[in-house]
Amino acid sequence: MLFVMLIGSPVTHAIDVITNITADTASITTAQLRRIYSMRQVKWANGVPITVYVLSSNNIIHQKFCKETLRLFPYQLDRIWNKLTFSGMGIAPTPVNNIEELIKAVKSTTGAIGYIENINEVSDVNVLKIDE
Amino acid sequence: MSMYSKLMNKYRHAFICLSALLTFSVHASDDKSANPLKIHGFVAQGVIDVDGSNFVNDDGELSTKLTEIGLNTSYQLSDDFRFAAQAVYLNGGNRYNEGLRVDYFLMDWDAYSSEEWQANVFLGRFKNIHWLHSSTWDIPFTRPSIILPQGVYFDGFRDISVGGDGGAIKLTYNNDHYGEFDFNLSRGKSTISSDDAEVFISEFAQGDIKHELDTQASIYWRPMFSQWRFGLSLLDSEFNYDGEAIDAFVDGHFELQLYTVNAVYEGENWEFTTEFLQSRFLNEGFYAPQFHQDNIAQGGSFQTRYKVNQELTMLLRYEKFYSNKDDKKGHQLEERSFGTVPNYFGFQNDAMLGFSYKFSNNLQINAEHHWMKGAARLNPIVLPNPQVNKEHWKVWAIQLMYWF
Repeated sequence: MLFVMLIGSPVTHAIDVITNITADTASITTAQLRRIYSMRQVKWANGVPITVYVLSSNNIIHQKFCKETLRLFPYQLDRIWNKLTFSGMGIAPTPVNNIEELIKAVKSTTGAIGYIENINEVSDVNVLKIDE
Repeated sequence: MSMYSKLMNKYRHAFICLSALLTFSVHASDDKSANPLKIHGFVAQGVIDVDGSNFVNDDGELSTKLTEIGLNTSYQLSDDFRFAAQAVYLNGGNRYNEGLRVDYFLMDWDAYSSEEWQANVFLGRFKNIHWLHSSTWDIPFTRPSIILPQGVYFDGFRDISVGGDGGAIKLTYNNDHYGEFDFNLSRGKSTISSDDAEVFISEFAQGDIKHELDTQASIYWRPMFSQWRFGLSLLDSEFNYDGEAIDAFVDGHFELQLYTVNAVYEGENWEFTTEFLQSRFLNEGFYAPQFHQDNIAQGGSFQTRYKVNQELTMLLRYEKFYSNKDDKKGHQLEERSFGTVPNYFGFQNDAMLGFSYKFSNNLQINAEHHWMKGAARLNPIVLPNPQVNKEHWKVWAIQLMYWF
């Protein structure tokens, strides 16, 4: 029975947070990740500006990242970003079309951060350990 | 003078700034390598029908005066400095002056940044960041509804309330135990054109109304990992009216102290929002040299939203507002005016039902119906018009909005 259930379940991966190799950190707390994605922390501890990359709000990986990693609902982040963008008080993360673009952008942008579903397929980026 | 010249004179400032904004944007977009340029915008058009008041128009017919268009740019000059500007075109009928505006035009200095603290200084024309919806008052898809609660977000005061020219400081503090704190402080003033003034002090006022420097402060707090967020704001503002030799009004002085508190709960399906206000409004002169009025107004709204699915959200809201907390039914107002101003100009209540439907990530339609009681927030507020404004009136509106 257990075997049948395992066979029938879709393969799912945990969400991993990746950064450009210039980001001077090996681990991050959930609270700090929330700060970065809600644009409340805009520079790393070494002073390098953080460039945040995101998938679109209706992307399954983005929704999983918001709910499971950040403990936020995607619409909450959309509201924060829209408020910053249309009030002039800040800038929103840079959207990308798919996971391949996101990985490429994180690899090539100093101080960049992003998230992916299957870390085994990626190299040349930092994978952050997430502490509670 | 030709119609074109009149239009140019009327909107000269807005035209110049919009042209500068667009020119700067085009020039900046040549440099794609560092990608410091962001351009965004929105377009919204709707229909609105009001039965029993001049909220939108005087003839009570179905109106298309529900237009909001905006274009903004943000350009990162260096790690610490950023330029941002937005121009908007608004047409809301009698709600506010129709036309093009420079919504914000500012320099953002990232003064201090660490893992816990972030301090930004804004200089130029900035948005009011203190109330729950004030910074994106005109951005249709960021508002919960087409018409916001008029107690706090009175459309007649839109151009005074929505922002100012001066400076603002935004300080955020993040604590892993106590949560997220925002401290905001601003000092500035709004330029009030004769067209803006005509909306809320009537066409009979020939003089100029000037907004003196106002000070605003607010604090917001979200406990760590909480779905709740709480806010408090304070405003201290002064206005002076300089009457003309031949004028329906005389010189006047106005003072406004406004306090708001708000709370927001953001759950997966349910949302609750409440915002209360108390304001002291001092009026000396204006109607007559010895006229003196010192009222404390109160109001508040409670709103709930339910997300049926990712596309459809239902909205229910109730709002109450009194111009004078010691005269909630407006009887003293009626007595003092010898019966010329009915009591229902002393309050305004709004029961509202609506929905929004998202066709995609940047296309949405909002629809709503309001059942209103009272006329305290109908323009021009200094000269109530009981001929067209009834105690009970209704509004329905539908607006389609696109943004990028």
